[in-house]
Amino acid sequence: MFLINDFIALLAANLILTQALGTSTIFIASGSRRKLVATTLVITLFTTAGAAAAYAVDSLLPSQYSYLTLLCYTLTVSLLYVIFLTVFYFISKERFKSVRRYIHISAFNCAVMGTLFTISGRASEDPALSNIGSYVFAGLEAGVGFVLAALILSAAFHKLNSAKVPAAFRGSPAMLVYLGIISMAVWALK
Amino acid sequence: MLKKAKQERLIWLDIMLTLLTLELMAYFYYGLRALVLGGACVAVSAAAEFISLRLMHRRFSADDLTCTSDALIIALMLPTVIDYKIAAIGCVFAVVVAKNIFGGRLNMIFSPAAAAYVFMLTSWRNQVLQFTQPHVHTGVLEKATGLVTSASHSFNLTGEMDATDFELLMGNFSGPAGAVSILLLAVAALILILRGDISGGAFIGTVTGTVILSYLVPMSGRIADSVKYPLVTNMVLFAAVYIVSDKRIAPRRHYYAFFYGLFIAMTSYIIVLTTAKENAIVIVALLFTPIALAFKNLEKRIDDLDAQAEAERALKEEQSAEEPAQESSPEDTDEEQIPEADSEEPPLEEEPELSEDQEEEEVTGDEE
Amino acid sequence: MKNKNQSVFDGLLADNTVLSSCMVISPVIICGDTLRNAEALAMAFTAITLLSVLLCSFIPKRLPYAVKIIIYAVISSLIYIPVRMAAQEFFPGIITRIGIYFPLLAVNSLIVVQTEAKFFRMKRLKMIPALLFYVAGFDAVILITAFIRELLAYGTINNRMVDADTLISGLGQPFGGFIFLGLLCGAYRAVRSLFPAEQSTGRE
Repeated sequence: MFLINDFIALLAANLILTQALGTSTIFIASGSRRKLVATTLVITLFTTAGAAAAYAVDSLLPSQYSYLTLLCYTLTVSLLYVIFLTVFYFISKERFKSVRRYIHISAFNCAVMGTLFTISGRASEDPALSNIGSYVFAGLEAGVGFVLAALILSAAFHKLNSAKVPAAFRGSPAMLVYLGIISMAVWALK
Repeated sequence: MLKKAKQERLIWLDIMLTLLTLELMAYFYYGLRALVLGGACVAVSAAAEFISLRLMHRRFSADDLTCTSDALIIALMLPTVIDYKIAAIGCVFAVVVAKNIFGGRLNMIFSPAAAAYVFMLTSWRNQVLQFTQPHVHTGVLEKATGLVTSASHSFNLTGEMDATDFELLMGNFSGPAGAVSILLLAVAALILILRGDISGGAFIGTVTGTVILSYLVPMSGRIADSVKYPLVTNMVLFAAVYIVSDKRIAPRRHYYAFFYGLFIAMTSYIIVLTTAKENAIVIVALLFTPIALAFKNLEKRIDDLDAQAEAERALKEEQSAEEPAQESSPEDTDEEQIPEADSEEPPLEEEPELSEDQEEEEVTGDEE
Repeated sequence: MKNKNQSVFDGLLADNTVLSSCMVISPVIICGDTLRNAEALAMAFTAITLLSVLLCSFIPKRLPYAVKIIIYAVISSLIYIPVRMAAQEFFPGIITRIGIYFPLLAVNSLIVVQTEAKFFRMKRLKMIPALLFYVAGFDAVILITAFIRELLAYGTINNRMVDADTLISGLGQPFGGFIFLGLLCGAYRAVRSLFPAEQSTGRE
């Protein structure tokens, strides 16, 4: 019972279905199993680590300099970008070539930056969420939400790209409508 | 192929007959307006289907009349006094957005009726969830007065219902015109399952899921009421027959269809229990479409693996038959025994390619 | 950049950022429900993208890709600061409503991805008008989307009431944005396929 409630809550807080963040990335990710796993893992890594960094930025940056938030987030994401590239390079030089493009796609992505801003916004509204644990959990939750949305799309990927779909709608237009209808169901449950 | 088309038309005919019976019951309770609403929905859907098929450079055939059954399902889920324009927009949405954009009846993803209902629910919540009492006949062009919320709404909030068992069976309580006639729905379900027109697995799964949860986590004081009311309210039975068990959407195998129905029923029950959300089953059925698609993908994989194993077995048998004979004539190696498609089938781990031929196969596989 | 004979006008129609490439779609889906929002977003997008891409074009090309991307993102984040201040002057209420989508414009795909893939492969004299048309293409789509959605969902045009009988409030919600944009993309592709020149080169 609680699992189902949590599942609905996860859908209702889903960044793609409710805020359309990272939609174009998800179109790429749902194309194949390998892309799906790689992109969603890297995005989750970025949202989780980025959320921790966002906590540091939010707690250190004085409120009168709030206009610098984006710059600080960009710098922290840049730092994570470099760290991840370096780490993956040293983990496996052979696989680095295939992995790095997912890091490139994910780093300065609406899904990642949007997550950081959303978490920060929620924390400023509710001070109880203004701690590192809540930030990291919310980042992880956003990543899991991204995985869920990618799975939802990948289940229909073949049908949405089928030759039966009118040429004008085949691919991304059909995917947008598909996501729209799922998003509508999520909205109706709210 | 011809047999399949014939079967599809027979399914449509059976479903239409049951829907028309429900429409007649709605006429008895709500007057001529119920029939006019149904007729308007059918006409708009047929027109939308015809126009969108022409735009897709396809011909309107008898098989495309399935849009009319979807239209009647939509009409029966709505209050009879709803603005005709809203119902018409819903029908256009069902045909164009929820069906034909994805390739029409040959490549169904969503239940058009469920998608249209949720669309109307999110856009015109008040009009969709306010009803007249049974036996209050509103004129065809009259504006309705004395609207009330549905019996489901009060049950969700209080766990109690005013109607007697007889009234429940006959549909003599406020709610969507066609979704309250429980006796008729039960008969329709039985007929449609026996004739193989709807997915029996999905229907049984939905009913089982609702019954199990209503027993374990009751909404009313008495166990009998707790089991009875969740089945007759919130369009559970109606959705179980016409939406969840829709053969175009539900998984083909009864085993998977059962779990698909079970998940939908359990999720919607918990949503009703925790949030008192009216008619949650229709929304959840729409939300669980990816699960139906995932089950179908799994079924296709299993079928492919079975076919592959069958082909390998046939090949081995052929080889073992050839070995003792030593001298085999060219006629003995009959290549037709091995289906050509199987040899070209990609391994399971490989990324799905999107060549049109394979897509064609995918779609045909799903339809079977 | 598959077609070498690319025209500077491509960004407006043939290779529209939103309709053709499906990029920068989240602001269109979420905030493109009223003309006021769309105007604010279009202006901010124009200012941030034009200035960022122009400034970024001076970054040496021989730098590693990752370093260049970081520099582009930092430059656009810096440009965002004065643009935000100006927007607060001209659209004080709207900025709050647009919320996170306003800063997200600074890390849009046109700056972070398309600069390398498209603009910096052109000569600067050709790049500037091409960039202008790409930006205009985005602006046109968000304004058209917002106009239609506002009219159908709220019965207003730029916050002025019009005599609309039946409103489809769902179109003002995010799911309405998804569905509407999907339909618009499909209609755009259908129209494109009517032109013979597009049929031969357009379909990817």
